[in-house]
Amino acid sequence: MRTAKNPSPKIIKDNDYELIQAINSGRFDLFHELVKRYERKLYNFSLKMCRDPSDAEDLVQETFLNVFRYVKDFRYETKFKNWLYRIASSTCIKKRRKSKFAPERELSLEEFIPKEGIETQEQVPDWALMPLDKLLNEELSETINQAILSLPEKYRLVMVLRDVEGFSTEETAQILNLSPSNVKVRLHRARLFLREKLKGYFKNDR
Amino acid sequence: MTGNHHDYQDCGGGHDHKHCLEMFKKLSEYLDNELDELTCREIEKHVNDCVSCHSCLQTLKRTVEFCKEAGNKPVPKDFSIKLKEMINNMPKTTNL
Repeated sequence: MRTAKNPSPKIIKDNDYELIQAINSGRFDLFHELVKRYERKLYNFSLKMCRDPSDAEDLVQETFLNVFRYVKDFRYETKFKNWLYRIASSTCIKKRRKSKFAPERELSLEEFIPKEGIETQEQVPDWALMPLDKLLNEELSETINQAILSLPEKYRLVMVLRDVEGFSTEETAQILNLSPSNVKVRLHRARLFLREKLKGYFKNDR
Repeated sequence: MTGNHHDYQDCGGGHDHKHCLEMFKKLSEYLDNELDELTCREIEKHVNDCVSCHSCLQTLKRTVEFCKEAGNKPVPKDFSIKLKEMINNMPKTTNL
């Protein structure tokens, strides 16, 4: 008998539940369906995490290999999508550790505080007021993607999971094994960093 | 207040630098509806009075909107084929 201290974990029956059950009961052919469901999402996630498109492809491949390897251990205690991104994120972090990049820089809140006398009376610029569809074009999309790529990885992971992939703070914390308050701190700094880049873009090009 | 003396200690609403910084730290949580109602009202009152923080909030909001819309590329056909081949070549068991 289970005690109140150790209740059985809640099983989450999301849209992938039946598919994962089928795969785990031996229908390995259905792994193609799983890949079809998530290849585009994972590919775009990887493009935002890797500077080189071929590295992004490697990340997608390694993630699916790891999913295949560990899916039998999936306990339906979280949405499958969250588990998938946990694997993708940890694969991404491991890949970076293996590479020879210099240590990442920390972003401090102080560096984004409006400078005395420069911004203190700044009105809201046009780019924050115009309709979104009037501004978005290929060049701006490229600028945004480059700005995202220039974020230090630990901030980028949080920002991409929260603002691009749409995970909640709690979900992002679980995916990255961080505290929710740590997710919030990193997200705010990442957004402020990107805001500075966009301010620069609109100042120079508009 | 003259232009020469304007600084973050008085950004239009007669409040101090410290208060601006406190609000500045919470702008993302405000945008994400992660603050209690009292703090939300405090921020709203502050940005109504403070041109700088109002601008900061609006540009931050737009930055988040841009990121949400930032490119969703299709998977290159060659890569899709490569993935299919990889799966076909995987052993027919998950006990790797």
